[in-house]
Amino acid sequence: MEISRFGLLVFTIAILASPALSDLVLSKVDRRIYLTSQIVRISSTLKVENAGSEMVSEVLLAFPELQAKNLAYLMAAQHEGKGKAKNSVVALSVEVASPKDMPPALTFYSVSLPKGLAEGDSFTFDVLAVYTHALQPIPEQITQADIQLVVYQESAYYLSPYVVRVQSLSIKLPDSRIESYTKLENTKIHGSEIKYGPYENLPTFSYSPIVVHFESNQPFAVAQELVREIEVSHWGNVQVTEHYKLVHGGARSKGEFSRLDFQARPNLRGASAFRYLVANLPPRAHSVYYRDEIGNISTSYLWGDSKKTELLIEPRYPMFGGWKTAFTIGYGLPLQDFLYKSEGKRFLNITFSTPMVELIIDTLIVKVVLPEGSSDISVSAPFPVKQWQETKISHLDIDGRPVVVLEKTNVVPEHNQYFQVYYKFNKLSMLREPLMLISGFFFLFVACIVYMHADISISKSSASYLAKQQWEEVQGAIQQVQNIMSRCLTTHDKLEASLRDLSRTGDVQACKAARKAADGLLKELSKELKPLLTFLHSSPSAAQILPKVEELVAKERELQEKVMAKHSTVVDGYEKKSGARDIENRVALQQQKLTALRQEVDNLLEFIDEI
Amino acid sequence: MAPPAKAITSPVPDAWYPTLAVFMLAIGLVLTASFFIYEATSSKRNRSLAKELTTGGVASVFLGFGSLFLLLSAGVYV
Repeated sequence: MEISRFGLLVFTIAILASPALSDLVLSKVDRRIYLTSQIVRISSTLKVENAGSEMVSEVLLAFPELQAKNLAYLMAAQHEGKGKAKNSVVALSVEVASPKDMPPALTFYSVSLPKGLAEGDSFTFDVLAVYTHALQPIPEQITQADIQLVVYQESAYYLSPYVVRVQSLSIKLPDSRIESYTKLENTKIHGSEIKYGPYENLPTFSYSPIVVHFESNQPFAVAQELVREIEVSHWGNVQVTEHYKLVHGGARSKGEFSRLDFQARPNLRGASAFRYLVANLPPRAHSVYYRDEIGNISTSYLWGDSKKTELLIEPRYPMFGGWKTAFTIGYGLPLQDFLYKSEGKRFLNITFSTPMVELIIDTLIVKVVLPEGSSDISVSAPFPVKQWQETKISHLDIDGRPVVVLEKTNVVPEHNQYFQVYYKFNKLSMLREPLMLISGFFFLFVACIVYMHADISISKSSASYLAKQQWEEVQGAIQQVQNIMSRCLTTHDKLEASLRDLSRTGDVQACKAARKAADGLLKELSKELKPLLTFLHSSPSAAQILPKVEELVAKERELQEKVMAKHSTVVDGYEKKSGARDIENRVALQQQKLTALRQEVDNLLEFIDEI
Repeated sequence: MAPPAKAITSPVPDAWYPTLAVFMLAIGLVLTASFFIYEATSSKRNRSLAKELTTGGVASVFLGFGSLFLLLSAGVYV
């Protein structure tokens, strides 16, 4: 009761003191500062109460200039109370605000409440603020054997434009080894935790600086620049390549470095150094590689299960304060885990920041390389980023692939959220790459055809050229002769086939029709043959081969006659209804001759073919 | 993320790439061989341009897709 009466008093003073502000009161502020890594996280639970009569829907958060410039991430969410699932958090929108009549050295953010607070209503919410480069190493330079000491400055009282009734602060350190800390009333130290408060009924803008000087040998890994390239291929892969420029952001190393000491007693001689980095890659990552400027002569380990893939990489040397290294990691991801389609648009849904654990990134550049032919590109990111577009020429490209570039400074692991790149893509554009390869091969073939068809000899009147020309003509004629001969032989085969049909079906008419057709065809072929033969006779280069060709033609004619004769005999036999045995006897002699002739013709054809 | 979003997969399953590459390249190389045999054996006068172009065209389709799948199976995602 005592407290509440006193509270009422302060509350009245507060109203009088700040008439410009809404009549909000912070009835309870609980702050927890985590200094367990190089990234400072302040998690506060605020309970606001409306003491005035007007509706209030916004709460202001104040940050001193020194902190505001290191502030990397700020998030407010409705307080769920302990024990409840964390995934049901409702985030509240936080915006930069510049209220009137406020000290200029402060930066303000306003948190919009889900619903307005009427008189006497209260609302509890959590604020998470993440700072980078907020730990200052003192001493600034240490030797290999020294431990790293850092200083952190804060206010023991919650800096707020509102009156704070009850507040407490706890600072969690990585180690119980504390060099010094500011002692105020109600300061307790418990192992590696320092507690300030509770303090009650403090007026607006109360400030009481505290300084904590403590040991922190956590890896101070800072990526001065990280370029992430995410390349989408619709053939089933999302390729991520990350180029790191890393520096140890803690106390600078001075003196000399002894590898021997470091190897022998790494905990004593090199406590401030870190020797490896861990990256949590998405599940089903494949083709993982790690290399530095001159290739991979360093160590890396990879584990994987169905939930994640873990990559541990060791730079070539342990990283001491101020030391730098540059390296590249890359991995492929299955397309179906990251690319989706909705409402006629495709979108890539992938995490924004690095997979590295507890890494600060000063400048992060994310390049999303979309397949050639993508259009209507738009980005939806959960926080403001600078963005522009480029094109990149890669494998099998004509006019380059569209690239969306996103840039953000001061990135902490909390920024590792999903973002989306929407674009339109015609499925037929996927055929661009194969078509390019196909046309490449096709041009090769066309070039061959052109070469074979073109006459590229220089002197068109020399004897050898003319001889060659003639010989080619002869060759052409002979090939045609061969062609005609083979067609003749096929016709003969057809006649034989018709005879076999006859013996099976007894259809004399069909056999006669076949004979008629064959006669016509053979006549035509012999007509075709005539000019070729006259040409061969006239050509001097054909003198050698001519006798053979003539022999071939003669033999073929003979064969033709014999075939016809046999055909007539058999058909006659059928018409006269002679017995099958009778016909066979009559034909037997002819058949022998036929086989012999056929053999000869075949031999001649083969012989000519060889020339 | 909107629930109706549908995951996009590649038109050909990844696991088929090596097999497809081998078979299409084999067919393509056989056709190429037949193209060059035809070029070398037929005489200048009797060569048919249509036949040359069709053999070359079909061979280049097989070689083109074959080499694409070869690139994909080697990890060069174009």
